[in-house]
This record gives sequence, C-alpha cells and structure tokens, in this order.
Amino acid sequence: MASLGGGGEAASLSARFLWCAELESKARAGKVPRSGQLSLFLLNLVGARRGRARRNASGTAGVSPLVRWAVPRVLQVRLLPGMAEERPGAWYGFGFCGFGQAPGSGRGRQVHGPELLGAPVDTCRVSASWSYTAYVTRAGRAELAGAASGAAGGCADAWASEALLAVLRARPGPGPGAELQIWTPGSALRGKPLWSQPVESGCAEERGSGGRARAPSLPLLPGGSAYVSPRAPFFRPLAPGLRARRLELGAEHALLLDAAGQVFSWGGGRHGQLGHGTLEAEPEPRLLEALQGLPVAEVAAGGWHSVCVSEAGDVYSWGWNEAGQLALPSRSLAEDGKPVSREALHEDGSEGKEAGDEEGAPSPFVVIQPFPALLDLPRGSEAAAASCGSRHTAVVTRMGELYTWGWGKYGQLGHEDLASVDHPCRVEFFVAQHLRVQAVACGPWSTCVYAAERGES
Amino acid sequence: MRYVLTLDELTGTRKTAIKAGICQIGRAAGQMAEGTCHLRDPLVEADSLGEALRALLPNTKEDLTLDLGEKVERSVVMLLQEATELFCGGRSAECLQLSEVILDYSWEKLNTGTWRDVDKDWRRVYAFGCLLKAVCLCEVPGDGAPAQAALRICDMGLLMGAAILGNILIQVAAVLQRHLLSGKRPAPDLTRELPSPKKARNDQVSAPDVELERTVPRLHCPSLEYFRKHFLVPQRPVIMEGVASHWPCMKKWSLEYIQEIAGCRTVPVEVGSRYTDEEWSQTLMTVKEFISKYIVNEIPELKQDISIPDYCCLGDGEEEEITINAWFGPQGTISPLHQDPQQNFLAQTGGFINYNSSSQADQQKVIGRKYIQLYSPQESEALYPHDTHLLHNTSQVDVENPDLEQFPKFAKAPFLSCILSPGEILFIPVKYWHYVRALDLSFSVSFWWS
Repeated sequence: MASLGGGGEAASLSARFLWCAELESKARAGKVPRSGQLSLFLLNLVGARRGRARRNASGTAGVSPLVRWAVPRVLQVRLLPGMAEERPGAWYGFGFCGFGQAPGSGRGRQVHGPELLGAPVDTCRVSASWSYTAYVTRAGRAELAGAASGAAGGCADAWASEALLAVLRARPGPGPGAELQIWTPGSALRGKPLWSQPVESGCAEERGSGGRARAPSLPLLPGGSAYVSPRAPFFRPLAPGLRARRLELGAEHALLLDAAGQVFSWGGGRHGQLGHGTLEAEPEPRLLEALQGLPVAEVAAGGWHSVCVSEAGDVYSWGWNEAGQLALPSRSLAEDGKPVSREALHEDGSEGKEAGDEEGAPSPFVVIQPFPALLDLPRGSEAAAASCGSRHTAVVTRMGELYTWGWGKYGQLGHEDLASVDHPCRVEFFVAQHLRVQAVACGPWSTCVYAAERGES
Repeated sequence: MRYVLTLDELTGTRKTAIKAGICQIGRAAGQMAEGTCHLRDPLVEADSLGEALRALLPNTKEDLTLDLGEKVERSVVMLLQEATELFCGGRSAECLQLSEVILDYSWEKLNTGTWRDVDKDWRRVYAFGCLLKAVCLCEVPGDGAPAQAALRICDMGLLMGAAILGNILIQVAAVLQRHLLSGKRPAPDLTRELPSPKKARNDQVSAPDVELERTVPRLHCPSLEYFRKHFLVPQRPVIMEGVASHWPCMKKWSLEYIQEIAGCRTVPVEVGSRYTDEEWSQTLMTVKEFISKYIVNEIPELKQDISIPDYCCLGDGEEEEITINAWFGPQGTISPLHQDPQQNFLAQTGGFINYNSSSQADQQKVIGRKYIQLYSPQESEALYPHDTHLLHNTSQVDVENPDLEQFPKFAKAPFLSCILSPGEILFIPVKYWHYVRALDLSFSVSFWWS
C-alpha cells in the first residue's frame, strides 16, 4: 500500500526519482545486485561530493554508515529543476469494484483500464481491501467507500482489511499523542472502536528511517515496534532489535524491511513466499540471506508472493507463481490456451521470442519460487516502488511508468482486458495520457495509482 | 540456477480432502449405476437441461441460504445473498458473474494456511459457488455444450468443497452425467478387442521372492475380537482373506463400464514415477483422458460397488469419517515408502481373468497384484524420513534399490512383505511404513479409519 505522507511530499517523491536517476547513471556499470557493498561504496562516493556542504550545515551524521541515508534526505530539498512545475496529481484505479467502491464510473463489477477514482480531494493514502477502500486526506480525514462507508477526522493513517479497519488517530481528549483504533468495517467509524491503544507518535525526522520521505505506514505502527494484524491478537509487538521501517502482510506471511535495508520474513511458507529456499513456516522474523548485503528500498507482499525493490532499482520476486505473479513462466497460463506471448523484451526495448519456444523445448514452468529471483523490467527500466495484490504485482519505475503482471481476471492489470500475464507489461494508459506515475497501492483484486501530468517532455 | 518445484499441494491433509472427493464421485457414479437417484429423465435439449437442474434446487431464497458462521466475512455474506436473489429471480447471466466472484474469493481462502485449518464454512461457500455456476452455465444462452464444463465445476465443488443443501452437487453431477451420456454413441467395445501379445509380459514381471520368515501373516475371516486382540491392539499387520471376496466389485470390472459411467468426471491424477521426484505433479483430468493416456491395452473388469469392512467399527470414528480412496493405475506404479496418520485397510479389488488363453489353468489366473513391504514405526530412524514438514512422513530411501552408502541403517531394518491379490485385505496399522508396487494393472480401495 502506498503512502505519500503529508505536506508537499508528492513533490519529493519525484525528486527522489530524479536524484536516483542521476546516481544510477554513474553507478550503472557497477549494478550487480548481489554485491551490496559495491552499491554502498558508490552511494557514499556520490554523497560525499554532493552533500558535504549540506551535511555540515544540518549537523547530522558524519561518517560512513549514515552517509548513504543522509544523502537522499539532504538532496531532495535542493534538487531539481522541474520541481516547481510539478502538477498536482490524481488517483486512478482499475480492477474489481463489485461493491461499488469506485473507480469513477462504477459500472459493472470491474474496471479494466485506469479510471479516475472518486477519491476525496487531497487524498494522500489509499488502502484498498477486497470489498471497500479507505482514503486518508492530508487534512486527516478518513473516508470509506464500497461495502463499508463512513468517515472520520483526526486520522493520520488507515489500513483496510476484510476483517478489520485499523486507523491511526489523534488521541481523543486534550493533549498530544496518537492512538491505534481497530474498527469493524461495518461500524462506519461511528461509536466506539472495537479496540484501541495509545501509540508513540514519531515524526518523520526523528525516525532515522534512512531519510526516506515516507513515514512507516500501517500495518506497521509509528516507532516500528509493533504492527497490526487482521487476526487476533491485533496488536503484535516486534523484537526491539528489528528497527522496522516498513511491514507488509500477505495472506499467511509477513515481510519486514529494516532501517539497514535488510528484509525479514515469517509466517506460512508453503508457497515459497518467505524466500528462505524452503517451504517451511517460520515462527519468528528471519533474515532473508539471499538478499543480505543488498540494500532494499521497498518490500511488498501479495497473497502468497513477495516482491522487493533494491536501492539500485532492481526487482526481486519469490513465492507462488500460479497466475504469473512472479513474472516467471506459468503453467496454468499456458494451459489455458491463451497464446503464451513469451516474448523476451531485450534491454533496448526490442521484442523477440525466447529461443526455447522455437526449438520446441519444454518451457521451465515455475509454480513456486522459494527464494528471490531477479526480474528484468522491459527497456531496462528501474523500479522505484512496488505493490502486490492477491495474485498480481504492480511496479512503478523511476521514469514514472507502471508495469503490472499476474492475475488479470478482474481487470486489475489495467491493460483493458481480462487476461493474466506472466511477464511485466506496461500500462499504456499513463503513457498515452502523458502522466507520470508516482505511487501505486494494490488491493487484493484491484490497483490504485497516483499519477500527475508530466511537467516537461 | 533457479529452483523449480513442480509439486502442487502435497500435505497428507490436503490429499485426504481430495481423496474424499473421489469417494463422493464414486458414490455418485454408483448411485447412477444402481438407478437410486430420483430424478427426472434428462432431456437432450439445452434449455431443458437448465430446467432439470434448477428443479433440483430449492426455489426459495430462504431455503437456498447457507447457515454460515462468523468466519465468513460480512461482505461475502452480502454477495451470497445477492447471488441467491439473482438466481431465484432467474437472472442467470448476472448470477453467473457473481458466482465467479464467490468462487475466486473462497478459492483464495481454501489456499490460505494448511488444509486442516481451512474453515469448513469456506468450503461450503466454495461448493455453493460451484453449484450456482454449474446451473447458470446451463441456463445462459451461449456456445453449446455447457454440460461438460458444468460437470467439471461440480467435480471441483465435490473435491474441494463441503456438502451443502443435502449434498446437492452429487445430484447435479448425476443429471449432467446422464445428459452427457444420453447424447453419445456407446463407448467402443473393448472386451472384444483381442489382447495384444504384449500381455505376455505380465508373466515376466518379477514378482519378488517373499521370504517366509518375513511374510505378513494371513487369516481367513477372523472374528472382530480376534482381529482386535491379536492385530489391532498390538498394531501388527495382517492379511485377511475371504473378507472382500463377496463384494460385488470382485466380479468382473469392465474398463468400458467405468469409462461409460465415469468417463466425463474430473479426478485428480498423480503423474510421475514417484512423488518424491522432481517431475512428479498432480493434475486434474477426466477419467476418460486418464484411461486413454495411461491405461493402454489392458482389459481388466472393474466394478464400483464396495463395502466398508466390518473391522472398521472397532475404531473410534464415525462411519462418515472413514476416508475411502480408490487407486487405479497401470503396472509398475510405485508408492514410495511412507506412513499415514490413520489405520488403513487396503483392499485389492482389481483383477481379471485371462480371457486369452484357452487353457483352464490360465483362465483361473487372476491378476491385479500389489507387492508390499512393511516397516514398523519403531524402525523410523533406519528409514531416513525427509526433514521437511511437507514430506516428514515419507522416507528418502528407494526400497527396492536402496543407496546403502547414504542410508546404511536401512540394510538392517527388519520388514514384512507380501503380495496382495484380488479379494484380500491388508491391515496396515497407523504410522506403519509401507511401500507398494503394482505388479499388474490394478484397482485397490483403501479405507482410512481411526
């Protein structure tokens, strides 16, 4: 689920993208994902040259481990031409909307291509569950649409699931402080919540979360010391040493990204979604050794699959591939008789058939991928953000394009059809409309996208 | 570089669920054969098929509503109500669309967590979705021949769902099956086909030498008390002769018959030499496809009717909780050494009489045998079970070709062995390790009980 945070941060996202693009043009030669040390070195190098003046001024961090985190934070303010011309964006959506939770036209039960969402003005956070969606505006208002309705003020964040709605609100009564409230979706946010608990309210600066513009979002609680679960117990503490920065929940597993960019996973593993190379369950957060040393920027959890985006912009996926949600060849898609367009998109964007098909050699279908596999986005694009639905995946690139793949039966891939695909496909709507995609938030069978008109060509 | 797994769901608990489905299908087919279904005669035209199906279902919204617990979310209950209203209102096209949503959502629930943790209500929701979809498919005008597709959906509902509305899916499936059969030409008469010379190879199959001191003991129709005292309580395997010989299925089965009455039904099939192999997989296909792909040039005679052995009443469970599996496979099929969490009666039911030969002796030779090796649970360490949770009830050792360097203790593990012939039932105590190799094309029925 994506969050744009508050106050002017929509701009900072694109700022970050642009900064990363410049960095990458320097680091491209060294882009070997497993060599995390190399990336670190390059980041340090660039940071040192650019950020030195700022760093001294702000008085933060000094030396090495913090430099790479301090740099983005510092630079984003300064950056770039084009920022001032940033146009305000809008939320679009596509996929299943059988409960009338919009997209805009609300016709039928599904929308196959991006349409404007009927989201409240100035929505900065969208959390889509299967039968309803929760919007949070910059003004702190939470609104529900679909099978659940209602609205409430004083909300900093909301997280929607079929079982419960979690809201981060200002504590009622005088005094500062925030509270986690658990509501049943049917309550319409009226009366008393099912359960509530005060939480520490950190602000973005203090969190030391690596200078990323985004605050930790639900289901991770501020401070990163606990998270919300849709199954009792609702409030689950995390081990203090974990320093969680981001947490995502799948149908039976959890993914955690810590301040150092390391990924942990736990829960059920029967579909390989934990990424440890086995199908065993893990009761406690366990470090993903396959990604150790590789600084990860984002994690996203689908129903039974996991995706992460490295700082370098690479996408890794693991878990269940029964609908092609890992962008690996899927047997069921082939058997469904749909022409398996196993076209390999080469680096330069040209298309071609994979040799395997022509030779008639059996394709290596992957049903379960138990440890991370590197994915190539077409045209050599680099990823900036990712989100997963039940059985589909959506990735935003640094250039502001959106790629989706996996299960498409309800139009959640946004390609104007109902086909499932097992390779990344660009959502052409945003290209055609000259929109720059900035954020994506998937519901189980739907996708919500924040995009703005491109300031310059 | 990439680790490719082709195993689908493999836990014993999920297998249980799927096997129960086979039992349901068998029961349905059996009802068909005996004509115990009280149905209108299916008519050939499509509209009437739709009517015939709809007549099976209750026609009021209240009677169609499932009684579901709180695990099923409010939003799903809303959808179910809406679908029921559409169905009762005759709006089949819209109901069909909604039934897909119900199916997809409940399917996701069925795939969350271990099978035994899946709330039964979700399985009932899934079955309900199958029911609506199957009936609506036959009512919606469209490309002809929805019956086969509808039947496949019923089979999925029987396999993965749970009984609803008096186990209505069985009745719906029966009507669909009759409809499909009534429009078809009779199946090719296989009994008249001359057996190919390849038949002779059966005689060359190496039946292993069963050393006397390690043979499974045999009894003829033991009393309940005798069996309980000498074998059930001490947990010792035994072969019981004469118990199953009166079953109707012991008479000639016909491949033609099973193709005819169950050919269009979808069943799960395990494909691969053994399930511990990388190429092993489980897939769904109709019985007809399975027979044409994997059972060739054989003419055993098979029959559906089976009875639950009386000895099962010595257990704790209810009769409904006895899981009945039907195993049908060609010669050479191997089940690698494994253990099951319940007591097991393995009845060898498939056999046939060699028509080919004119000699009296040959004509009495009944084929359809299984070679079985048994190891006590006390020997588990010597059998090197897999580490993983998924396969912890399976040994890593290839019993008839063991790698003694990797598995040295295996050589010293004592075991019992036997050849199980048609008409015999083998009692496999709970968690007793067993390895099975089919010496001929055979059909067995196993009863899991507690």
